[in-house]
This record gives sequence, C-alpha cells and structure tokens, in this order.
Amino acid sequence: MRRAGWLALGVFVVTVPWLLSAAVPRQQRYILHVLIFTAIFAALALSYDLVVGHVGSLSLAHPAFFGIGAYTAAILATRAEWPFLAGVLGAVIAAALVAAMVGVPLFRLAEHAFAVGTLGLALVTSVVANNWVEVTRGPLCVTGIPKPRLGPLAITTLPAFYWLALAALVAVALFYRGLTTFRLGRAFHAVRDNEPLAGAAGVDPLKYRLLAFTLAAAIAGGIGALYAHYLSVMCPEEMTVSLTVNLLVIVFLGGVGSLRGVLLGAVLFTALPEVLRLAPTWRLVIYGGLLLLVVIRSPGGLESLLRRTAGAR
Amino acid sequence: MGAISGPPCDPDLILDIFEQLLHGVTLGAMYAMVAAGLALMLGVARLINFAHGEFFMLGAYAFWFGYSELGLPYPLAALLAPAVMVLFGIAYQRTVIRAILPRSWHVQLIATLATSIVMTNLAIIVFGTQPKEVPTALSSRVLDVGGFRMVWQRLLVLAASLLIFWGLNRFVARTRTGRAMRAMSQNREACAVVGVDVQRTAMITFALSAALAAAAAALVSPLFNIFPDMGTTLTLKAFAAVVAGGFGYVNGAIAASFLIGLTEALAGSYVSYAYKDAIAFLIMIAVLLWRPQGLFGRRIGI
Repeated sequence: MRRAGWLALGVFVVTVPWLLSAAVPRQQRYILHVLIFTAIFAALALSYDLVVGHVGSLSLAHPAFFGIGAYTAAILATRAEWPFLAGVLGAVIAAALVAAMVGVPLFRLAEHAFAVGTLGLALVTSVVANNWVEVTRGPLCVTGIPKPRLGPLAITTLPAFYWLALAALVAVALFYRGLTTFRLGRAFHAVRDNEPLAGAAGVDPLKYRLLAFTLAAAIAGGIGALYAHYLSVMCPEEMTVSLTVNLLVIVFLGGVGSLRGVLLGAVLFTALPEVLRLAPTWRLVIYGGLLLLVVIRSPGGLESLLRRTAGAR
Repeated sequence: MGAISGPPCDPDLILDIFEQLLHGVTLGAMYAMVAAGLALMLGVARLINFAHGEFFMLGAYAFWFGYSELGLPYPLAALLAPAVMVLFGIAYQRTVIRAILPRSWHVQLIATLATSIVMTNLAIIVFGTQPKEVPTALSSRVLDVGGFRMVWQRLLVLAASLLIFWGLNRFVARTRTGRAMRAMSQNREACAVVGVDVQRTAMITFALSAALAAAAAALVSPLFNIFPDMGTTLTLKAFAAVVAGGFGYVNGAIAASFLIGLTEALAGSYVSYAYKDAIAFLIMIAVLLWRPQGLFGRRIGI
C-alpha cells in the first residue's frame, strides 16, 4: 500500500509537465518555473537540515555556501568554459573546502556564538560578492551562464530543467536518508542529543559536526551551481540573510530533522507565496511572524502534526 | 622646509588620522551602547537578542519622528527615543521573551531573529527604504583647535556615552536592582529562592537595554543616515564585541566596541572601505582563536 502510494506520487511528479500542458497549456511555463524553484529550495533545505536538524548546530551560513557554489559554477562556465558537470563538481568542492576551513575555528564557538559567527561569515561572503568586482562583477552580476549540457543531452527547455531539478532533489533526498539513517546518522544524533555523553562514548562531537557541516555545504554548493545555470544570471542578492530566513521557515515549519517535514515545508513555502503573489516585504513580515509563532507554539512543525494524526488513527 | 614634508610627517596625514580616530571613537561609542545592552540581556537572562539592532533602528525612527516631524528641540527628541523604546522593551519582554525564556537556545535565537525580520520589514513598509537624514545644529558646527577640526555632535556623542557608561556602572554596582541583576547573572534559581523579584529584574534589564540602544540612536542619528535595515549589521557587530569582550561582561563589551570602532574607521580609510563591515568579524575570530574566553573574559556574569 505504502509502496503503491509512493509509486503513484513518483509517476505523478515525473509526468507533471505533460499533465500541465494538457490541462493548463497557458500556465505551464509559469507553474513549471515555480516547481523548479520548489525542487531547488527543497534540496537546499534538506542540506541545511543536515546541520540544523541532525547535529543540532544552528548555522546561519548556508547562503554563503550556496553563493560560493553558484559563483564558482557561473565563473567556471562563463570564463573558463567548463562543461556543466565539471562546473558543478568544482562548485561542490569549492563550497566544501571553504566550509571545512571556516568550520574549524567556527566550531570552537559554542551555541549562540556559533550562530553569530556563521551569520558573520554569511555577511562577509555577501560583502565579498558585492565588492570583488574583478571576479564576481559585483552588483552587475555574472551573466550569460550557459544552459546545462549532460553529454549529448542539452537541457534547454523548461520541462527538461524540471526533470533535472527533480533528479537533483531525489539524489539529495537519498543522500540525506543514507546519511541520517545508518551508523553515521546515529552518531550525528548522539552528538545532537547529548554532546558530553557522545564524547565519552568515543563519538567525537567536533568531528561529526564538521563532517555534517562540510557535507551540507557541499550539497548547497552543488544546488547553487544548478540554480545559477537555471537562472543564467548570478547576483549578490541571491545570497542574503533573507535566504537564511526562508530556509529556517521551511525547516522549522516542516519539521526539524525529518525528510518528509522538510519536503512538505519546501512545497508549502515556495509555492504558496507564488500563488498568493505577495510583495517580498510583506512576505518576510508574514514569514517572520509565522516562524515566531511556530517555534513558540509547535517546535516540531508540520511533521509533529502529521505524527499526531497518524498516532490518533 | 619643503624637502622634509614626505609622507611620514605630512601634516595633512596627521589631521586625517586624527579625523579617522574621532570617527572611530564615535562608531565605538555607538557599538558600545548597543553591545552593553546585549551583554546585559545575555548576563541576566542568558539570552541573545537578535532583534537588538532593530531596537536601535526603531529608536532612530522615534528620534526622527520627534525631531523632524513633531519639530521638538534636539534634547527633547533625544529623550523621546529612549522613552518610547523603554515601553517597547517592556512589551517585548512581556510577550516574546516570556514565552521563549524557558525554552532551548535554538528556539530563543530563532524567535528573536524572526522578531528582527518582522521589525525590519515593517519599518520598510511604514517608513520606506529612502534613508532619512536628521541634521541638527550641532552636526554642522565645527570646533577648530589649531587645525584639528571636530564636529560638535561627535564631541557630544563621546561625552554623553562616557556619562552613560559611568551611570550604568554605578547603577549595576550600587543600586538594589543593579545588585539583583548581578546576582541573576550568577544564579537565577538561587535569586528566586532568596526573594529577588526575577520577573521585575528581567523587565528592567530589557527596558534598560532598549533605552541604551535608543540613546545611541538619538546621539548618532544626526551624523549618519537612518534606514530600515541598519539593525542587522549593528546586531552582528555588537555581538562580535560581546564575544570578543568576554561573554556577557558589560565593560569588556564596551572596551571591545571601541576597539572595533577604531579599527573599522582606520581600516575603512587606509585599507579598504568596501570591506570595513568585515573587520568586526575578523577581530572576533582572531580574539577567539587567541583567547577563547574573550579579551577580558572570565566566567559568564555582568
């Protein structure tokens, strides 16, 4: 039954472009665009949840790694004319390297100080993106990033990009599950739930935190590369604090540390504002208010709601 | 005579350095008033208020409203800002802080961050993104002492902030409430047991912190522009000062703020203006690598 349900969902998600062109041909492009954004944000939120939900370190630096990946891929593709996959690999490596390097001093900071240190990193990265004009072109943005090519396959149409984004999301989700389920996942949770006990049991908290932080940054870098190739423009505004707020909203409303919750959160909070067509300022006011309400009233998010209804049945 | 006026003893350079030092002290005083409030909240309530920069921002708009819209004279408008923010600080403590105080620091951080986002964007909606300029009589008058030119408002910032820090130290050291605050920073439960009114002390701490941020805003607003998202970077710099000065140690935070302000002014002028906002973090990271307990750090406590 469960398997059949997943299969039906999978078939539905994959066939969406055809269903859309049959049902609402005029809206197909717009809806696909929203869905591509949803998939990208869902994958990004999953990578963020690896750090926030599974090792319990409240990092606010995720936009930095997303941006580093996006800029690396954008610059490699436009200046050095690297092929798409090589550029994505370069983005993943660049983001992971920066994360590993800054992670060592940042994890010397405890709790709040870690959060502020990472927020500082995000701020510094966006200052660099704005001012290192020779490389990033600053506020003029890196433009003309080519559409992705996978060998002989050129991803030029929206449906093709939708499937690519979907494949990326599935890959990230599988990686997320693999990483958080087995022995490694148990080590992550041990570090999150009781750091001294984990340390005493031979699970080095610093090592596992750093590992989760670096892997999450690597994924964020890859997603950033995908994002840059999709928009074909990369600007410093793409990596501001408001991205952190979006990620926090998705993760905390959906349910910290839960694959299903985070996916649900991403669908709700990427698609919903588009449907409601809110102005960005009002959107942030509502997001902020909602975030405040949820962390105070129901810290488990939608996932705990789902569990409660499942338990009641 | 002309031969010796090389760069090392160029009188223009000396005047320029002096000007930058004065600018750095002004910045330092501003950061210090914000950081002192942040350190007080951290000490007394064990809470990082991510919305603290927004207290400053709102205080600045309160000052602008009093001075430019209501046409109040400068001293009255400068007092209006702290008065408004005291009420705001109390309301904030009563609603948001009370709900999150017993919760984990994750929840506290996200809740105060969410408050800051709401405040910033509401300010954009209400006041617009166009920066507001509030020049006063003192911000355009210059004192000239043998070529060293000083804007009166900067001297006022310096004098008023020193007075405020002196008063703050007296208050924390000498008064009953101040003693209660210090006691709470050491052991909250024990305070409740021996009959310290914990809720009232927390409320006064928040009111005081908000007033400090608003006073800073009223003092420096005639020199700098007022805009809705100026709070975020300010919170971060003030927090960098709190961390570098020793977690929750008020005078350490004040000293570190001046260090950050001076470094920022000098580096912004002689190294790179674009990267001046990164300086506070480089200082914080450097201090933490060298002395993880902060420059003046001991245990937590104000």
